[in-house]
Amino acid sequence: MIFWEIAKRNIRIHLLRSSLAMLGIVIGVVAIASMGILGNSMVLSVSDSLRTVGDSVIVTPHAGGGGGGFGGGGGSSSALVITEQDYQQIKRVSAPNIAIPVLQTTDRLKLGVGKDDLVAMIYGIDPEDMPDFFILESGDYSRSSSGCLVGSTFAKDNNVKVGSRITVGTDGNKGTLRVTGIIEERGMAFDVSTDSAVVATQDWFNNAYSRNDYDKVVIKVKNLDDITAVKEAIEKQMNRRDETVDVMDTRKVMESIFEAFGQITTFVSAIGGISMLVAGVSILNIMMMSVTERIKEIGIMRSIGAQRKEVMSMFLYEAMILGVVGSIIGGILSLLGGYAISSLMLQTTEYLFVPSSLIHIVYGMVFGIVICLICGIYPAWRAANLNPIDALRHE
Amino acid sequence: MVFRDVVKVYPLPAGDVVALDGVSFRVDRGEFISVMGPSGSGKSTLLNLMGCLDTPTSGDIYISGTRIGDMSDAELTSLRRDRIGFIFQYFNLFPLLNIIENVTFPMMLKTGKGVDPERGREVLRAVQLDDKLFTHTPTELSGGQQQRVAVARALINNPDILLCDEPTGNLDSKTGAGIMDLMTDLNRKGTTIIMVTHDPNIAEYSKRTIRIADGRIVS
Repeated sequence: MIFWEIAKRNIRIHLLRSSLAMLGIVIGVVAIASMGILGNSMVLSVSDSLRTVGDSVIVTPHAGGGGGGFGGGGGSSSALVITEQDYQQIKRVSAPNIAIPVLQTTDRLKLGVGKDDLVAMIYGIDPEDMPDFFILESGDYSRSSSGCLVGSTFAKDNNVKVGSRITVGTDGNKGTLRVTGIIEERGMAFDVSTDSAVVATQDWFNNAYSRNDYDKVVIKVKNLDDITAVKEAIEKQMNRRDETVDVMDTRKVMESIFEAFGQITTFVSAIGGISMLVAGVSILNIMMMSVTERIKEIGIMRSIGAQRKEVMSMFLYEAMILGVVGSIIGGILSLLGGYAISSLMLQTTEYLFVPSSLIHIVYGMVFGIVICLICGIYPAWRAANLNPIDALRHE
Repeated sequence: MVFRDVVKVYPLPAGDVVALDGVSFRVDRGEFISVMGPSGSGKSTLLNLMGCLDTPTSGDIYISGTRIGDMSDAELTSLRRDRIGFIFQYFNLFPLLNIIENVTFPMMLKTGKGVDPERGREVLRAVQLDDKLFTHTPTELSGGQQQRVAVARALINNPDILLCDEPTGNLDSKTGAGIMDLMTDLNRKGTTIIMVTHDPNIAEYSKRTIRIADGRIVS
């Protein structure tokens, strides 16, 4: 159709100003899409690393109260502990799910003669419970009490291999551990974060730090639907008179994390949306310019028989071309930008090429085109409703 | 075309301006008429009414037997497109379109789709424009050539009436005479022509002259 052709040619002869207006749309699309992609990728990446712990209920000593019983021996990092008696109660109400007691502290480690000391988290866990927690990337679970597992990041950073020896404590006063296995990367976790830690046996830990109690209890819930029931049962049992423990349901925590991420993504995308509105104003501006410069031409068209809606369509085509071309360029750049940001910030692009990420590019593009059309409506309407006689006389 | 007691009043804040005050005349098929008068006499108003760009305040105007007083904008527009050919003083070609596209533009409006450029070429040859100019843009043509293209554009939909507003006003006398010869030729072949001018030499090409002063026909 001839009006489409005229719209195209008008953009071409005003290429510079059309490109500048289009640039605004490109930036708007990129802002919305890349923010959306980044947010979504982060949610996916966090949910991937948290998925393994979404099935846990974690019991810790109540932070505000007086702790439980006699605990708090020698090397304990905290005075707040869960006593053996408390643990037995928790174990009973959690059955048939497994309740795993965990000991933890931070101490100096030495990885060989002449090497610097480093400080790391040390966990004490019953070797029988280890397979419920960890998947090994190499080696085997500890059989002797002085065997230990190390996290993958710890192993990589300190060049630790199966068979390496680790001396624990200031001047090695806590003894020496032998590495029997390396734990596969687990990511951020609520129960135990092993990636940069050492996991010793419970026996060794009790001896080394003179402990007979626990720092927390992790209950692995077999059926996810039971998770709330288990949590409530523990709370009912343990906090009947006083608040002795805090009970955390990891799935709840994950849900609120995802919700927060979702809100952040929406918020940041909305900021991108503002840049799109600014772009819309510049489209409105050049469309008004385009109408004003062509008043006479509109008058000629109208006088030789172009209908109002045909004149209107000509200007809407122009706005649409700017919107569609700008949005396509923006979409392509968002894909490239998303790729760059993902690989820089998340070290992986696996979360980019999934529908929930790519949909943000579609959102950005659709928003760009819609904004252009909306901003084209008023100028087009004005052009269509010019009085042909006045327009014809316009110089 | 028939005008019967046509009055056109422009309401202005300073008071109403009567541009046409009871004008009646009749133009038959095949006539060649010139409309003359000083500026401010109502010439332009008359031309706008004849071209269906405006409707009268009172009185009746019939174009090809159709009364235009109560027509909607869309109907008037269709009437202009199908029945009337416009020729302007400043040619008024579309700079974004080439010659063939300019000429076939009204036909595209009428059919709502693309048009065989051969039809454009035919009409352009009829107004004696050189074939090799057909794909040029209007600014690459001389004034006389542009006006020939404008005539071709006005003729493409086979209008009942050709309305010309000072068709030679922006041309030198020799080129103007060429355009007038073309008009005479078209009229001889049956086209009704109404031409507004203030140049008596140009008016001589017509067969009848309507003189207008202060919104009334004086002869």
